[in-house]
Amino acid sequence: MNLYFGDILPYMGQLLTALGVSLGITVASFVIGGVLSIAVYAGKASSIKLLSLLCTGYIGLFRNTPLLVQIYLIYFGLPVFGINLDVFQASLIALSLNNASYCAEIVRGGFNSVPRGLVEAGEALGLDRWTVFTRVTLTPALRAVYPSLVNQFVHLFLTSSLASIIGLPELMHAILEINSQTYRSIEVLAIGALLYFASGFLISLIARVGERFLFRWAVNV
Amino acid sequence: MDAFIEQALGLLGAAGWTLLLCLTSGVAGTAFGFVLGLMQISKNPALRWPAVVYVTVVRGIPVLLLIFFVYFGVPLLLGVNLEPFFTGFVSLALVGAAYTGEIFRGAIQAVPRGQSEAATALGLNAADTMFRVILPQALRIAVPAGTGFLINLVKDSSLIGIIGFVELTRAAKILSNLTLDPLGAFLMAAVIYFFISFAISRVGALLERRLTPQFGARKPRVDDPALTPTGH
Repeated sequence: MNLYFGDILPYMGQLLTALGVSLGITVASFVIGGVLSIAVYAGKASSIKLLSLLCTGYIGLFRNTPLLVQIYLIYFGLPVFGINLDVFQASLIALSLNNASYCAEIVRGGFNSVPRGLVEAGEALGLDRWTVFTRVTLTPALRAVYPSLVNQFVHLFLTSSLASIIGLPELMHAILEINSQTYRSIEVLAIGALLYFASGFLISLIARVGERFLFRWAVNV
Repeated sequence: MDAFIEQALGLLGAAGWTLLLCLTSGVAGTAFGFVLGLMQISKNPALRWPAVVYVTVVRGIPVLLLIFFVYFGVPLLLGVNLEPFFTGFVSLALVGAAYTGEIFRGAIQAVPRGQSEAATALGLNAADTMFRVILPQALRIAVPAGTGFLINLVKDSSLIGIIGFVELTRAAKILSNLTLDPLGAFLMAAVIYFFISFAISRVGALLERRLTPQFGARKPRVDDPALTPTGH
């Protein structure tokens, strides 16, 4: 067999647009899921038994079932309750909820790494509770788990390809569409793989540079 | 109620296929991954680099993309049409190899250097050093990551339904089309997946305990010929 990439060239624009959609939904669900994960972590660590149990159950359920089943549940299952979501909303919710369950465990590790004395010192200095939380607890906690969060982001980017199954026009969807139009399966899959791999690699690289900037206050970055 | 039991039994049957798919590809993937792990720590660049590139690339692309590669690519490259089960087996084994390759590499490198130095000092050859000194310790270190790998494998196997093999997720999709109750069908599937994962993590925890010396792991026999210093 011979490979011919020429047939794919006219579709490069479509592929890059689709890559943009992939990145967009990844960023959106990472931010939503990330904020949610802090709430879930707080709920899990709370002294209210029922809330703690609910949050633990949520994390366990979403981490131990396939994302595809979660997407199907939200896209096909929620309309039973009269909640009709379009493809974009369903993907965004599924990816956010999934990401939140993973981030909650990462965030837990981060908060556990902040010594209790640091919070006490903050309180002793007369900082209010919000400032203590954001500046004394959250920032060092995020710094401690920053590499894990970057990994999770790349992982989320790769798994966002599953949204193609319900029809979100992201990279994987575009790859399959171009495949069915050109029959150049190996070529288009190879280009798609390259786009996914290069994007993930670039994200990690940018994140590593960003780390120096974000945590430049830290003594030993 | 009868209908419910019938549906649940149908899904459990499909879960059997999910388990068979994971078992076969898990074994094949771990075997290939073991070789990749050893290649990655090899001093020979001709062995090391292909393994490092393979592991990095497979871990850097979506599992779904790799599945389509096998699904569309193998018939084109080899001129044979694969059964859906075999396509699933090959793609999950390829993915699994990359992940276990990284786990084996990490676990072997996590065994303190002094262990292999001590083995060398005792006059053990390379194979005995690896199989009797390094690996038994590395395996224990690898158990938690291995548990995670198996759970991921079960979850990734849901993607094999997309290329047409009727495993648990695909069966739930078919069921939801028959009963027009997607919520019930996918919830049942989710519960089954949850219990499979739960079982795997329990077995993993037990295994880790078994392999920890102070909790009853088999201690090496002192009269083991491989552990007797030679060359004196």
